[in-house]
Amino acid sequence: MLTSVLKRGAIAAVALAGLSTAAFAQLELKIMAPASPGGGWDGTARSMQQALTASGIAKSVQVTNVTGAGGTIGLAQLINAKGDGSQLMVNGFVMVGAILLNKSPVNLSQTTPIARLTAEALVIVVPTDSPIKTAKDLAERVKADPAKVTWAGGSAGGADHILAALFAEAAGGDPKKINYIPFSGGGEALAAMLGGRVTAGISGYGEFEGQIKAGKLRVVGVSSAARLANAPDAPTLKEGGVNLELMNWRSVVAPPGLSAEQTKTLSEAIGKLVKSKEWAEILKARGWDDAYLGGADFETFLKAEQIRVAKVMTDVGLVK
Amino acid sequence: MTNEKLARGADRPALIVGLLLLALAGVVYYDASQQTITSNYGIGPTAMPYVACVGLVVLGLAHFFVAFRNGLPKPEEADRGALLWIIGGLVGLIACIGLGGGFTIAVTILFSFTARGFGRRALATDAAIGFVLGLTIFLVFAKLLTLLLPAGPLERLFL
Amino acid sequence: METTLSLLNGFSVALEPSKLMFCLIGVFLGTAVGVLPGIGPALTVALLLPVTFKLDPAGSLIMFAGIYYGGMYGGSTTAILLNAPGESASLATALEGSKMAKAGRGGPALATAAIGSFVAGLIATIGLAFLAPWLVEVAIKFGPWDYFALMIVAFVTVSATFGDSPLRGLTSLFLGITLGLVGIDRLTGQARLTFGVPELLNGIEVTTLAVGLFAVGEALYVASKRFRDPEEIIAIKGSLWMSKEDWKRSWAPWLRGTAYGFPIGALPAGGAEVPTFLSYSTEKKLCKYPEEFGKGAIEGVAGPEAANNASAAGTLVPLLTLGLPTSATAAIMLAGFQQYGLNPGPLLFAEKPDLVWGLIASLFIANVMLVILNLPLIGLWVKLLAVPQPWLYAGILVFATMGTLAVNASPVELGLLFLFGYLGYLMRRYDYPVAPMVVGLILGPMAEAQLRRALQISLGDPMILLENPISATLLGVAFIALVAPFVMKGLNQFKASED
Repeated sequence: MLTSVLKRGAIAAVALAGLSTAAFAQLELKIMAPASPGGGWDGTARSMQQALTASGIAKSVQVTNVTGAGGTIGLAQLINAKGDGSQLMVNGFVMVGAILLNKSPVNLSQTTPIARLTAEALVIVVPTDSPIKTAKDLAERVKADPAKVTWAGGSAGGADHILAALFAEAAGGDPKKINYIPFSGGGEALAAMLGGRVTAGISGYGEFEGQIKAGKLRVVGVSSAARLANAPDAPTLKEGGVNLELMNWRSVVAPPGLSAEQTKTLSEAIGKLVKSKEWAEILKARGWDDAYLGGADFETFLKAEQIRVAKVMTDVGLVK
Repeated sequence: MTNEKLARGADRPALIVGLLLLALAGVVYYDASQQTITSNYGIGPTAMPYVACVGLVVLGLAHFFVAFRNGLPKPEEADRGALLWIIGGLVGLIACIGLGGGFTIAVTILFSFTARGFGRRALATDAAIGFVLGLTIFLVFAKLLTLLLPAGPLERLFL
Repeated sequence: METTLSLLNGFSVALEPSKLMFCLIGVFLGTAVGVLPGIGPALTVALLLPVTFKLDPAGSLIMFAGIYYGGMYGGSTTAILLNAPGESASLATALEGSKMAKAGRGGPALATAAIGSFVAGLIATIGLAFLAPWLVEVAIKFGPWDYFALMIVAFVTVSATFGDSPLRGLTSLFLGITLGLVGIDRLTGQARLTFGVPELLNGIEVTTLAVGLFAVGEALYVASKRFRDPEEIIAIKGSLWMSKEDWKRSWAPWLRGTAYGFPIGALPAGGAEVPTFLSYSTEKKLCKYPEEFGKGAIEGVAGPEAANNASAAGTLVPLLTLGLPTSATAAIMLAGFQQYGLNPGPLLFAEKPDLVWGLIASLFIANVMLVILNLPLIGLWVKLLAVPQPWLYAGILVFATMGTLAVNASPVELGLLFLFGYLGYLMRRYDYPVAPMVVGLILGPMAEAQLRRALQISLGDPMILLENPISATLLGVAFIALVAPFVMKGLNQFKASED
């Protein structure tokens, strides 16, 4: 008797509490990862799917993959899905460059920005036996003879390449003359570093962490504003006298032509997602830093990044 | 007839292959010559295309030479009906996916047309087999692997 | 000695019932998924990653390792039975394997692949346990110039083995090299030969070309000559199992394949394709029955399959010792480690010996499980070939498109698949070998990228290729392999004229 009353009470309480989230529980979302399954954007999309459904923010979430051209094929599809309030797409810093490099007919300003989710600092490293100790040492060399400083990093026009170009610029060198060698995948670039084939390497901090801790690579500088929590000994580039900041961020955007209400629903869902404990767990497990930035702030940020990247790509000679 | 000889005794297929290779070389050359951005150090993005281009030209000329000697091996006449059924199935599949008809119907078309091309005369039975096969594959991918194959109206009933 | 103790300790971890269970699930999933063309072990692990992050680290890593090895086994099955190489590393296996299967020797082909994989996996895993720290020191010494020289060796030796007409073989190879140019140039980010089609920016997928030329092309070809020259598929002829003769012809290729696969797999940019090509051409050279090559020589299955599996173990050398992911699967496995806050590398061996050695021990166990799982399945697989021909080929085409659709569901990609299929049909008709084209697509871009990196580092000085001992030696080997046949021919003619 008592238990059944308690049960009923509990149901009522849940129902009441549920009222506020009722709108969300009906939410059915599609998240597009504009890359093949298994990559970074796909990982973000699938993690969002997991957290959105587990926390009850959305009733169902479908992840689709649209492969190709640095995500610009996916972007074109998103822009075609005008007014679809259930569609989201994961994107990031790399896409800004890819749009310019591929002379894509569509660009990010045609989308409805929702929020920035995560950000990762890049790190510039040298082999431990290198005479280069600080960011300043490296900057002097780049200024003196950019050809002799070989950089190992990810694909041409990606975040690593842009950092190398910005570094040369900040050091007072000519970014057009940098000797940047793109490698496929972090592993190959790392091997080139360890084998002493190149002067310096650039990647996300996580990829080099093992070798840095094992004492085989030395950090010249991290590209974030402040030192990283998991690497308090590594100086920032700014501390080393090179005035430069760059984060490799990931975000979600929605199709163009959404009503104010549709945009609000999506923004609130993402706003709830980043506060959920499920999302926090995923961030921790994957080693991603929360960099939530929503609404108009994100829109401004996105515009600023587009301008900055366009300038660097022209300076470095990737875009004419 | 593919093994028909020209008046001068040249092998027509070898001449055609030779011409196609030269044309391809031309396309590669044109594309490489349009590149505006090159590397600062070492060799740029146009070096390898030019190498491929030279190779294609040499091979194209070698085909002309062969055309006046032995020619290419003479194939037997093909069964055009069979080929047309299978190609029809493949084109049907692309059209179905392209138009948003979904994976299951696309597979139904491909399976039944191919079986017809290989000489079966039971289009309806084969279509049924293709349908079940397609739907099963779709569901296995969607539910077990969480990979979404192209979905049409039919597949959406199961999602 | 210390290593032996650590390894025994690892076995005590890996033999716990729960770990065995994870291992079994892993090899089962890996085999099942490896069978699907286009869906390799990397994708499987990636899809399972979010599911597993609440499991215990050792268990799920062991499962990933099982998937990795299982995927390698599964890949050979479709290559042999359906002539649809689902990954570039199974290409060489498909060449002889599919011929054997059609002649009713599918059983021995699958058996030599399975046992060869087992032998190679076993030896290579022993190598991983005992030689890893030493091998990796050598491996990171390899610079871009050395990789370029290695690619040239592969190019030269492989080109010598394809078909009896050098003109048609080279034409096929150059078509492949030209296709390899399509897409974004890796070193400058510029688009080449894309004609404004955005779908082409990512380049031509190796599996799309291989499955198109091999599976689709063959289906069209067989159908086109159905009345005049009907193809006979014999599901089983003779023994389902390997005969004494088969064993005799298989063991040496297994060992040679392992000798190629393990060290090259351990090189950060070595990959699985180069050793399979080298193994194929070596076996063709050494085989006592060279006339059987192209018609289903068992050596041509045994060697490349062993090389393929040994390279999978080789890939784990830089992953475990340095934290270097050198293949797509290894990169995903690294993500798997990192989701538990573990960073592979020298420190991991010191900090978590149980986990690392447990993982290595479970590789041995996965290997044993796979051979036990796969051998009885052979009888079942071979029955597939007894399916009536119309359904068999219809099924193969469905299978081929499914792999393409799962990875990249665009009409352009499908269009390419069928275009390559039709090209494969025409090439078969006029007796052009199709394999060199795929080889060109795989090796061309690799060789180009390494050469350009080398010249970027040397600021354009080509002497860098001859100044470094490894690259100079390899280029010397390539030169001898290129010239030797002509010299031999000349000598023979000289002798003949003297007589």
